[in-house]
Amino acid sequence: MDFRLTIYQENHTVIVLDFPPLILFGNSEHSDLLLNNQNLFIMMKFDILHQEHYSRGELLLRSILGFFYILIPHGFLLGFLGIAAGVLHFLTFWVVLFTGRYPESWFEFQVKYQRWNLRVSARILNMADGYPAFGLDAEDDKTTLEISYPTEISRGLVLVRAFFGFVYVLIPHGLILGVLGIGVLFVNFIAFWAVLFTAKFPRSMFNFQLSYLRWSQRVSNYLMYLTDQYPPFHGEPDSEDAGENILDADVH
Amino acid sequence: MYGPHPQPDEIPLREREDAMGAYLMMFAAVAVALPLPVINLIAAIVYYFVNRRKSDFIHFHSLQSLLSQFPTTLLNWGLLYWSLQIWLFGNCTICIEFWAYIGLVVFANIVYFVFSLIAAIKAYRGEMYYFFGIGSYCYRVVFKRH
Repeated sequence: MDFRLTIYQENHTVIVLDFPPLILFGNSEHSDLLLNNQNLFIMMKFDILHQEHYSRGELLLRSILGFFYILIPHGFLLGFLGIAAGVLHFLTFWVVLFTGRYPESWFEFQVKYQRWNLRVSARILNMADGYPAFGLDAEDDKTTLEISYPTEISRGLVLVRAFFGFVYVLIPHGLILGVLGIGVLFVNFIAFWAVLFTAKFPRSMFNFQLSYLRWSQRVSNYLMYLTDQYPPFHGEPDSEDAGENILDADVH
Repeated sequence: MYGPHPQPDEIPLREREDAMGAYLMMFAAVAVALPLPVINLIAAIVYYFVNRRKSDFIHFHSLQSLLSQFPTTLLNWGLLYWSLQIWLFGNCTICIEFWAYIGLVVFANIVYFVFSLIAAIKAYRGEMYYFFGIGSYCYRVVFKRH
């Protein structure tokens, strides 16, 4: 089944496009936003809310005791889920190889698992206040991660990724992310003091960390066969002006 | 009294994939690179309890996959135990029975592997597939309506 996209332009002309379905996983509110808004071509939506004010008390609490009350309980559960995610990842390779499809519920599980990871990472990096929710189905108003479901995955690319992913993905991206990771540690340290004294997270530092996380997520998505799109060498969000001329989009 | 039998064209692809996935849990030990016979069983148990409420079709296949794990798991454990007694603890020596048992275990695993793959393919096509003995029991458990 293909989706039909009807574009009503300002000059009253109509463009009709047929294309394979992109099923967007996430809560229905976000999915509706993505489908009804101008972002139909976004492959991944990855965001952390930049708060107006950050709690200094929480910052100190997280910095001193975060290991015990965030990392240990969440890490314990995420560790077990990580084993399940790893098993599914291994099996996905074979399933994609034979069927050309990523099983939908497995894909959903992987996205939910990544979403939980993001919730925890955002708190550990002091980018969001509040305690990260437990559970694969938990919702979080500070973080957003949605990945469009690919109805078909290239079998050839799966093979290439499995055997040569280390060479053409991990080495180039890993080297840059490794260097940037040192930068993130440094920036995070500076941001800690900025938040402590001003209760504000400097926007540029926030964006730097966010870009780093988004970039890492894209690399991870690619290696986990969640997308066929080779990760770009930047952490900017997917183009939001891809459909800037679209005034209204009906998906049938 | 039994519930309606799902026809292949009535079963959504997502359900068929989930049913197929149940049989693929036999590779879980390979996935985590731990040659322990119990890993596959744990994976099958987890998969069963996560998916059994999704539909009767998935319930049937995941239960059949789970139950079919027990004979081979027990046989594999037996081989592991016997091997450890010989090579680690030195309580036994290699005898003709041991080689016969290895042959039995290899044969059982090959049979299990082949039939599980067939079942996985059938499940992906939306078809029912009944293992000897286990299949009819699973059918009764899943489709019986009180």
